[in-house]
Amino acid sequence: MPRLSRSDWYDLSRDTNWTFRYVTEDAVFPEELSGSHRVGKQQWLAWDEPYKVSYREYVHNQVTKDTTTYSLKNAISRSKVFDELDPGWKSVILAHYGAITMPEYLASIGEARMARFGRAAAWRNTATFGALDEVRHGQIQAFFPYGLLEKEPRGDWALKAFHTNNWIAIAVRQLFDDMFVANDAVSIALQLTFTLETGFTNLQFLGMAADAIDVGDLEFGALISSIQTDEARHAQQGEPTIKVLIDNGHKAWGQFLIDHMFWRSWRAFALLTGLSMDYYTPLESRKMSFREFIEDWVIKQFAEQFRDYGLDFPWYWDEFVRELTWYHHAIHTVVWNWRPTVWWNPDAGVSPAEREWLEEKYPGWNRTFGRHWDVITENVRTGNIAATFPETLPLACNICQLPIVRAAGVLAGAHTDPAPLRHVHEGRLYLFCSEPCKWIFTQRPDRFKGHKSIVDRFLTGEISPPDVGGILAYMGLSEPEQGQDATGYAWANGG
Amino acid sequence: MTTPATQQPRLRTWSIAGAGRRRLTEYEIVTGKFHYHFGRQPAPFDLDPGSAINQWYLRYREGSPLRADDWEGFKDPAQLSYRRYIALQHDREIYAEGVVDHFEAADHDARLDPAWVAVLGRLYLPARFAFHVLQIASLYVGQLGPSAAITNASFFQGADELRALQWIAYRARSLSLAHGADLADSATARAIWEDDPAWQPARQALETLLLAYDWGEAFTALDLVVKPALDAFFKEAFADLALANGDGLTAQLLRESGVDTARNQAWATALARYAIAARPENFTILTEWVDKWRPAAEGAAGGLAEIFAEAPVPVSPESAVATVTASLGNLKEEIRS
Repeated sequence: MPRLSRSDWYDLSRDTNWTFRYVTEDAVFPEELSGSHRVGKQQWLAWDEPYKVSYREYVHNQVTKDTTTYSLKNAISRSKVFDELDPGWKSVILAHYGAITMPEYLASIGEARMARFGRAAAWRNTATFGALDEVRHGQIQAFFPYGLLEKEPRGDWALKAFHTNNWIAIAVRQLFDDMFVANDAVSIALQLTFTLETGFTNLQFLGMAADAIDVGDLEFGALISSIQTDEARHAQQGEPTIKVLIDNGHKAWGQFLIDHMFWRSWRAFALLTGLSMDYYTPLESRKMSFREFIEDWVIKQFAEQFRDYGLDFPWYWDEFVRELTWYHHAIHTVVWNWRPTVWWNPDAGVSPAEREWLEEKYPGWNRTFGRHWDVITENVRTGNIAATFPETLPLACNICQLPIVRAAGVLAGAHTDPAPLRHVHEGRLYLFCSEPCKWIFTQRPDRFKGHKSIVDRFLTGEISPPDVGGILAYMGLSEPEQGQDATGYAWANGG
Repeated sequence: MTTPATQQPRLRTWSIAGAGRRRLTEYEIVTGKFHYHFGRQPAPFDLDPGSAINQWYLRYREGSPLRADDWEGFKDPAQLSYRRYIALQHDREIYAEGVVDHFEAADHDARLDPAWVAVLGRLYLPARFAFHVLQIASLYVGQLGPSAAITNASFFQGADELRALQWIAYRARSLSLAHGADLADSATARAIWEDDPAWQPARQALETLLLAYDWGEAFTALDLVVKPALDAFFKEAFADLALANGDGLTAQLLRESGVDTARNQAWATALARYAIAARPENFTILTEWVDKWRPAAEGAAGGLAEIFAEAPVPVSPESAVATVTASLGNLKEEIRS
């Protein structure tokens, strides 16, 4: 082996900062792509990545990870493991592939934004590896569901979802475009790596990998845990970036970016992880409830991050904590009711034993959501399946793009008024699910104002015919792709 | 609304990126149609169409003069997925480590002529600034690329530049142990890059390259002109000079990096040929950009080549420039063919 170790020479590979002579600094780092002009050129040079890796180490480490993960896939794909998985768990991974594969790949563009427009060579080098990581995550999470196509055709949505106007795809696309594809380098570091990756996904992937192993899905477990090890490395770009901002008197801006994206991340988590953990994962494999996960892991993690950097809890913290008891239950109900509009089979997850678990984890669940499910259960038992489908489109929030479920919030005692929050900007009416979503919009309306929610599109005649059939076609769902109850309503009959 | 009764027919391949009856390769499975956002209406990304990054992409990507009806038809000749890229570079780094190990065992650096070390200090060690520009310019072309095949190849290329840069950093420290701490001093290398007259044409070309924001022009300037010129200069002409001066280690590391260059030039020329085949007007567009950037690239080589005369076993600056000119000429022929 070469004699010198990384620490002997590493600093000489990240000292390539200089003063431009033939062009201007502003022209090389335009503010709309860099987002760094609040802090001076020299001050950015303090940027120091906590986790250091050389190119040599990177390729040697990654080849081992890839070999392990792909070999496992090859071994398992010849087995009957997938066929024997719990139907709810199959929904977990189908939802995941459709909603997450493409954002992971898109994150390579966000990383490349930092690798070109970050203001320190150390940062640009770190983000170069980040860009490679995210190509890996996009590709591996496409390749695995591709291998499932013969058994599960809706693995197709790993590639297809973002080409459609499916409402979940719109919500996820709008979120991640805001977070890292159509964002500047500094904001990406704070919003993608500090807020989402460090605060949410790094923890979630650990938990999800453990759950996968527990339900017997070794392939998905190996995939997710392998991805998590990359995330843990490149997520660390957020810390030095917030440190530079704070050290140079721009804590308020950092706080704003984090407050903005913490709420949005929470919304996406409630949708994807909330449903997976509390309704889709088989009861016997649930280690904790979604609420416990957020309280014990995410909140704890953020409390440490906020403390370490002298940041404040977001101004809407109380509303966020209150939502832990009800919001994702309401979203679950909407998704299950509108099951033909999603590419997975929503698992109602309300068998007697599951309801008991829900009541234990969320005291009062039976009194609020349980009553709603009582009606659905009765309809199913009497064979009146048609009555379990809704007839009207729910209103959608103009920031998170998710259904506005404030009526459920009233039932849960969190809100007093079921009506959506309203805001008129330049003559157009916008609707919001919550004060934080409204706040996100009103802070920077030019960023969001021209975007249309699925309901806006319906009301302005973009969806035709303007009926359920038209909506499903607009969302790209052929009849066989449309979601059905995951267990064929077994839960309604005591199963 | 009712429960759908039909089962979805089995799928053999992606519904939107199949290849007819042919089976997709792994590369195609994980590359085709990933850039759903290129050409999307009313804007590539789901924010306000007038928001800054949407406008940037509409202007510099969708609005580039370099256009094709369908960029999805372009494929990286090396068909590199992430997995294959990493496996390839894992092997190449084992080779590079073996090269360094071999020369270190023979106490190579200590035996170098101090006059040659001075040339390394002035020409080779500050080159990490130049490779850094090629690295981040590649990551720019990648993020603006209209298809994932273009984006991924550009990202891998950017990582290759970081690879080259890190071996120079390694050598800076290593040489400093035998020939003086100044060789591993960042300020010294930076001062040469910023003030040495021999470096200024290269620095000017590279700083200006960072402002080529139109993706077509950025691709052409970087991948068909400036990078090929600097790669020919360092990985061919300077590698030869190193060998003539008894520095087999520098020569071999640069030639190893030249393997990456050959791979990157292959996709770049393939993309240029694809663009011309897709739309004949692209030939004129590419040629105009090549002609625009070529004087700066040749000037860069000309400035740096002055240092060749100072080597203990010198080579004429003209012959170094001729290597670069020939390489750019070959590239132009390849694109035309």
